[in-house]
Amino acid sequence: MQSISKSIPKRDHFPKISGRAKYVDDLQIEGLLHGKILRSSVACAEINEILIPDLPNGYFVIDKNDVPGVNSVHVVDDDTPVFSDGTVNYVGEAILMVAGRDLKVVNQILKQIKVIYHEKQPVLDMMKSDTIFYQYGYTKGDWESAFRDADKIIEEDFQTGYQEHVYMEVQGMIGSYENGKAIIRGTMQCPYYVHTAVKRAMGFESDKVQVIQEEMGGAFGGKEDYPSILGCQVAVAAYKTGKPVKVILDRNEDITCSPKRHPAKMHYRAAIKNGEVTGIDADVVYDCGAFTTLSPVVLQRGLICATGVYDFKNLRVRGKAVKTNTVPNGAFRGFGGPQTFFSIEMFMDHLAKEIGLDSVRLKERMVVKQGDDSATSGKYHFHVPFPAMIEKLDQISGFRKKRETFRHQTGRYRSGIGISLVYHGCGFTGSGERDLIKGVVKVVKNTDDTVELLTAGTDMGQGLKTVFAKIASDTLGIPLEQVIVQNPDTDRVPNSGPTAASRSLMVVGKLLQRAAEKLKQDWKPGEYQEVVEKYVHPDFMIPWDLSKFQGDPYPDYSWSANAVEVKVDTLTATTEIVGAWGVYDVGTPIDMAIIIGQMQGGFLQGIGYGSMELLGVNEKGVIRNNSFSDYIIPTSMDVPNLVTEVVENTYDNGPFGGKGAGELPAVGGAPAFVEAMENALGVNLHHTPFSQEDAMKVLEALKK
Amino acid sequence: MVAFSNGYLVDNLTEALKIRSEFEVTPYAGGTDLMVEAKDDAVYLFLNKIPELRRIYSDDEYIRIGAACTYTEIFENTLTPQILKDSIDYLAAPAIRNMGTAGGNICNASPKADTALIFYVADAKLRICSASGERILPIEDFYVGRGKTVLQRDELLVEILVPKFGLEHYYYKKVGARQALAISRVAFAGLFSTENGIITRFAMAFGSVADTILRFRDLEALFVGKTMTEAKSLRDDLIAKYDQAIVPIRGRVSADYRKSVCMNLLEDFLNQNGI
Ligand SMILES: Cc1cc2nc3c(=O)[nH]c(=O)nc-3n(C[C@H](O)[C@H](O)[C@H](O)COP(=O)(O)OP(=O)(O)OC[C@H]3O[C@@H](n4cnc5c(N)ncnc54)[C@H](O)[C@@H]3O)c2cc1C
Repeated sequence: MQSISKSIPKRDHFPKISGRAKYVDDLQIEGLLHGKILRSSVACAEINEILIPDLPNGYFVIDKNDVPGVNSVHVVDDDTPVFSDGTVNYVGEAILMVAGRDLKVVNQILKQIKVIYHEKQPVLDMMKSDTIFYQYGYTKGDWESAFRDADKIIEEDFQTGYQEHVYMEVQGMIGSYENGKAIIRGTMQCPYYVHTAVKRAMGFESDKVQVIQEEMGGAFGGKEDYPSILGCQVAVAAYKTGKPVKVILDRNEDITCSPKRHPAKMHYRAAIKNGEVTGIDADVVYDCGAFTTLSPVVLQRGLICATGVYDFKNLRVRGKAVKTNTVPNGAFRGFGGPQTFFSIEMFMDHLAKEIGLDSVRLKERMVVKQGDDSATSGKYHFHVPFPAMIEKLDQISGFRKKRETFRHQTGRYRSGIGISLVYHGCGFTGSGERDLIKGVVKVVKNTDDTVELLTAGTDMGQGLKTVFAKIASDTLGIPLEQVIVQNPDTDRVPNSGPTAASRSLMVVGKLLQRAAEKLKQDWKPGEYQEVVEKYVHPDFMIPWDLSKFQGDPYPDYSWSANAVEVKVDTLTATTEIVGAWGVYDVGTPIDMAIIIGQMQGGFLQGIGYGSMELLGVNEKGVIRNNSFSDYIIPTSMDVPNLVTEVVENTYDNGPFGGKGAGELPAVGGAPAFVEAMENALGVNLHHTPFSQEDAMKVLEALKK
Repeated sequence: MVAFSNGYLVDNLTEALKIRSEFEVTPYAGGTDLMVEAKDDAVYLFLNKIPELRRIYSDDEYIRIGAACTYTEIFENTLTPQILKDSIDYLAAPAIRNMGTAGGNICNASPKADTALIFYVADAKLRICSASGERILPIEDFYVGRGKTVLQRDELLVEILVPKFGLEHYYYKKVGARQALAISRVAFAGLFSTENGIITRFAMAFGSVADTILRFRDLEALFVGKTMTEAKSLRDDLIAKYDQAIVPIRGRVSADYRKSVCMNLLEDFLNQNGI
């Protein structure tokens, strides 16, 4: 272990664990108004009329007519309105806001408002959608010949469900308007996204918008796009009322209208010849919900991952992201990867059975290595440590032996063990880092020789402040206490880009390291100094061409090998997770405890996605289970034996060899769990979440 | 007595019953059900400082559990039968178990109540008091439907009387959506005893299946007093009768799933007891 990996207490640990940390809802602001949003109760309609009661003094209704700039929230595209433009497109869409001193009165007013809808038939099934938001595709090799010459062609359909983030702190923002300037503070991953969006909605210049991130209680991707929407809404409300306005969603509201992981339907075909998989063809549909938000990039990543970690010489991948009248989906740890990774991993398991091999054998045989072409005709430029990782996985889980023992089982309990091999491409997809983000950091040395790191990077609990401080302190050779990292405020920090895409440590951390190196060379005790560092695109990368969908979408990849062992009770169809083992390559861990924490939490989240996290939308487009009693996520009791280990495979372009870590662990849990269920039940399975009820159906069918 | 803006805190049962008879109050034990959707205008009668509701002791026939004893207290008490401990072990999580009470579990009248299921199968009785007197009724007679009980507006549940004998040989299984903090999707409890080859006790209760916890005494009676051989010959018939009797309602999980689990567990219970 490198010395920098030695763990230290996280910077937000004591404030959060002691309850001292102040979240946006805790802030006391003079003259604050409470806002509550009136949301659509139907999935698809034109609004004929809105009947608003007489408002008491000091109470306001804010709607689209109050937006001073453009009534649209910039995410990737601009189709999301700040407030409904006269139509509603999903249950939960914001129509207007009521704001005033007393939240109870606000709620009463909200109840009295009547919206007269002219309802239309909503589209709820992604396969029936006729609105394609985005569409991409690519091929490699001669996939047509592969299928033409095949001995056998195997076709299967896969399906993955929603996943809700369940961050502990719900979405919340305070907007204020002072001296011609809109100030937005709240819980958010990407202050500059909010900044850009608010600027446009308000029609303001850059210096008339200030965005401040407050202490954050979790995000998992769920606070990448939504804060831009809420940020615009509170900005408009503050502008209209002249008072600071706070909007904190309640949990049911948050589950109803905040983004989730895109449900997906995937059709896969494989060409088999002489016992080898000679071609693969994937056709993917992602359900965007009613607006586009981050969907183009989510789909891109999904398609890049569609053929997994395997070296297929001939392939075709196609996919589209379609509109339905449901809540807009967005970023969620893994960002499009978990859906297709689930499919390709399950498909490989099934293909192995066809060929007569154990799935791990087939996977090992086909796994990519350094120098191989990637699916998108880019390259795996660096060492791929799968052989060592799989060995380590076997050591800690004993999966090879267990596979044999679990072959033929009878009796009440059935065991199974499943394996998945996945990656997460580090950083923004495609040429985003170079063309869109162009990250900048600033390092300031004060006259007392303390050093402040100015970036737009946000700490949502993942430990960013801590690792940034470690990088600077180690590089400069100064004590950690001398390094200051505060929550970003766009008036103070340059735009180092969003805190997303597992990019912050690898990209922004590297910029900080370079800035610190420069500062160290030029260190003048007692003097104020500033170093600004700008993103440099790695020159080894094969340029990404989105129109062809070719090139290197990422400079490097983080890898993981996962095993999940289950024991199914055939009487109740309940499943005990006997063990879950993950081996990860995230480059150099900049803090071992943080990495293990991320790996364990992500793995558990992935297992939840595969097993119990079921979100249902009824025939009217209403999310049925928008509460914690009905949306079930795993607890530590569900996977008590959760073992995570890292192999060190340094990435030279990352600080101290570190690369992306945050999202990787959420990718491999679901396929490993579902393969374990296949192994236990002796059938092929095709969807997440694979629930108790699903298991019971299989067991009942086997009885017959 | 201390009066708060939202209710009354009393330290003895007499006073509690007096307040209960004079005011429109909501009894508040651990609050773990009440606080999920707290009503702004409710006036509470806080029960947790009333000694008569906080003790666990036994007499010749019963283990008597104070209605406001927390799960943790019940779990840690040596008088508590193992079947009840098992149900507590799978109930919610430690924080809820430190606050939640068996009395609250019963009075909330949910068919999903985990300890109520045990009291059902065990033939427990409830001691209910008001300022004007007391009554003791079998737990089955306490319920009229989902969330509905025969408790009068001046009454409090004071004690749960659990028979001391015949609980040793039990079968218990709770099926939730996860390993902890899980509301029952199906829960099953069974008791079985024989004396000299004759079945003396045969009881089964099903939770989370219908509007109230289910027990079919007429079907149980088919086995009681029979020899094991007789019971074996009646087995298929009994299963068929339960198959007819159990009609689950659809909830968070399908009726089919619930039904399958009930029947599987019932059969397993018979198997385990050699029938
Ligand atoms: C996160 C969570 C998890 C849970 N998990 C489970 C679980 O796994 N299994 C389960 O069965 N339950 C579970 N519950 C429900 C709840 O914890 C139990 O039902 C508990 O026993 C309620 O007891 P209490 O003392 O908190 O009741 P309270 O909330 O205080 O009261 C519940 C009801 O009973 C009435 N009441 C209480 N005591 C008396 C009395 N002595 N006389 C008359 N009326 C009275 C109250 O007026 C109220 O109507 C869970 C609840 C939560 C919040």
